[in-house]
Order: sequence, then structure tokens, then C-alpha cells
Amino acid sequence: MDEMLQAFLLFWIPVSMVPLGLWHSMSSPLQSSTKRGRFLSFTGIVLICLSPWTVPNSPSSAAGHLLGAIIGPCMLIILGIYLISFSGNVPVGKLSRSDRKIGVLMAGIGFVWLAGMHWWILTPQIAYNEVNPYWYVFWPTFILLTSCLASCSAVTLLMIGDQRKMESNTMFFVSGLSFILLLLGLNIDGPLVTGNEFREHLWLAVADMTGIVAGSVLSILVFAIVIYAYERNLPGPESIIPPTDSELKKVSTLIATHLGGEEE
Amino acid sequence: MKESNIGFTWRMMILAFLLPPLLILAIDMTFFDDFKPIDSGVSFTRFTNATLTAYTLCSLFLLGNLFFYGESRNRPWAPLVGMVMATALGVLATVFFIGQGSMLLEDNGSVRAQAIYNIVHMFVSSGSILMAFSVALGVTFSAITSQKQRNNFELEEE
Repeated sequence: MDEMLQAFLLFWIPVSMVPLGLWHSMSSPLQSSTKRGRFLSFTGIVLICLSPWTVPNSPSSAAGHLLGAIIGPCMLIILGIYLISFSGNVPVGKLSRSDRKIGVLMAGIGFVWLAGMHWWILTPQIAYNEVNPYWYVFWPTFILLTSCLASCSAVTLLMIGDQRKMESNTMFFVSGLSFILLLLGLNIDGPLVTGNEFREHLWLAVADMTGIVAGSVLSILVFAIVIYAYERNLPGPESIIPPTDSELKKVSTLIATHLGGEEE
Repeated sequence: MKESNIGFTWRMMILAFLLPPLLILAIDMTFFDDFKPIDSGVSFTRFTNATLTAYTLCSLFLLGNLFFYGESRNRPWAPLVGMVMATALGVLATVFFIGQGSMLLEDNGSVRAQAIYNIVHMFVSSGSILMAFSVALGVTFSAITSQKQRNNFELEEE
């Protein structure tokens, strides 16, 4: 089979199945459609993860390889944070105290696992001693943005929140932790990723994020202009003929009967 | 909140967001002699590719939204055509600029390879951004729910 066709069938169609499945599961009120949509998305994710074996010649399959490598720690972190959040003071759906400990453990293992991909033997490799190129995109972007967002959240809690100093300190701690990881990445070489490589990709990640923000804002602006131009060119509502004297008389009689009231 | 206070809060929030990369830059330049400024050409290439790809993909997403917007407006063609043209402009601009030579070609040999690489790169970057947002929002939420329950009606009870 032609390589392009193979990549289209075994990588790009599964990629399109994920948003299509999500859209289908969220847009339909039927329970069966929701399940079908979720199944479609799940199948898409599995096929993307299998793409290094199904389409080994396609460079895009490196993204599938990365997804397979990071899905474990990422799910651990997200599930861990979910367990921590809902075992606290929430009005509904409160989980037990033991779930909190499990959550902390899961989130911790997730972060250590991701850090181990940089400084230990867990680095995603598409061939022996060849680091997955998309790992250089994911890791610096993730820790830099986590540090920025946590710092922003900490200041927001302090300035807008009411007596949120403890929560703010927690966010400063998360920001500091990510910041330390960034500094370590710049100065301590891993077995496959050197500090200089990390530095180069860190600043590329900054360029990447700035570009994404610029492109997204531009498209939203164009979208707003298109809607504005259309709405402005719509004709005004049609005028109706004024009421006749008899209609006015009838209305004033009706109003008069409803004005005032009986004294108690 | 007063208007001047709102402005100050926004400025502080933006500064807090920008603080980590600025600190990294300052520390790296101050304490480590081997600081090598990155090649601005490579950064510019990445920035431009990211901008063009984000514009095109975001326009496609918004085009899908226009379809639902049309439900309340008797399915008008004008905005739909306008947005299709805006999206097509993004695709054409991407192809045109990549085709100009080595300016926007990274390690890829052809326009098609670079365009496909840009899309895959955008998926990975978006996944990373989504994950960072999930962690930051999730930890904020868990930090708030971890505190003792507050009584907001103390004054009323008195």
C-alpha cells in the first residue's frame, strides 16, 4: 500500500475520530449516541497509540508514540488531582479521606514518572538512543506553562480572593516546583537529553506558545469581524401600520378598567 | 472594585504569568557563563509556523461553530462563506510562505511535509498546553477545597 494512503488510513482517520467522537457524545441527548461517541474517541486514541507499529514509516507516528508514552503519567496526575479535589470540602459527591491519600500518591507518581522521562531511563525513544522529537515539544511547554499558570493563579487568589493566603501559598509552591524542574533541566543533563538541548527547546516552546496565542487571537478577531459585518448588514425590522382611532379607543378603555383599585 | 484597582490587578496577574520565563532568562544570563542565545531565525520560523497553523486550525473550529450559530438565523450563507474564505486564506498563506524556500521549512524537504509536521506539532503543543491548564486549574481547585469549610453567613447568624 502507498505510504501516504497508509498514513491517511491508520493515522489521520484515527486522529479525526477523536474530536468527531467527542462531538457526537456531547451533542446527542441519547444515551446510546453518547456511548458510541465515547467508543469512537477511545478507538481513535488506541489506533493513534498503535501508529508506530501500524505506520512505522510515517514521521507523524512519532506523535502516536509520544501519546502512548505520556498517557500513563498524565492520567495518573489528572485522576490524582480529581481525587484530592473531591475528597475536600465539596457540597456534593464528596469522596472519602483515604481517596485523598491515593490521589496524592497518584499525582506524585505521575510527576516523578514524567521527571524520570527527562533524567532517568524512561525517555520516550523511537529508536535506540534516539529521543522522540515531540518529547522536546511536550516537556518544556508543559513545565514552563504550569509554572506560569500556577504563579498567575497564586497572585489571582491573593488579589481577588478573600483570605486565600494558604491556597495562594500552595500555588506558589507548585509554580516554584515547576520552576526548579526548569532550572534543573537547563543545568543537569539526562542520559539522553542534555541541558543545552533542553535550553534550545525551551525557548522554541516560548516561540511556539506565542505563535499559538497570536494565531488563535487573529482567527477569533476575523470570526468576530465576519459576524459583525453580517449582523450590521441585516435589514431593520419591518414597520407596521399605526393603530386606528377605534383600536386606540379600545386600548384606552381596557387600560382604564385596570387602573386604580378598590380601597380596603 | 475600583477601576484603577482592576487595572492594577490585571497588570499584577500578567506580570506573575510572565515572571517564570523572565526569571529563567535572568538567572541563566547571570549565573551561567555558557548562556547561548538561541538562533533568532529558528525561533522566528517556529513562531511563524505556529501562528499560521493556529490561525488555520482555530478558523476551522470556528467555522464549525458558525454552523450552529446559523441555526438561530435561518442558516445564512454570508457569514459561512466569509469564514470559509478566512480559513482558505490561512491555508493559502501557509502554503505560500512555506513554499518561499528555507524561511519556514524546518527539517522538512517539501511544503506538504512541513504542513503535516506543523499540524502534528500543533496537536502535541495543544496537548501540552491542555495538560498544563488541567494541572494549574486542578491544583487551584483542590487547594480551595482542602481548606476548612467557611461559613459565609456569620453576620446573619449573629
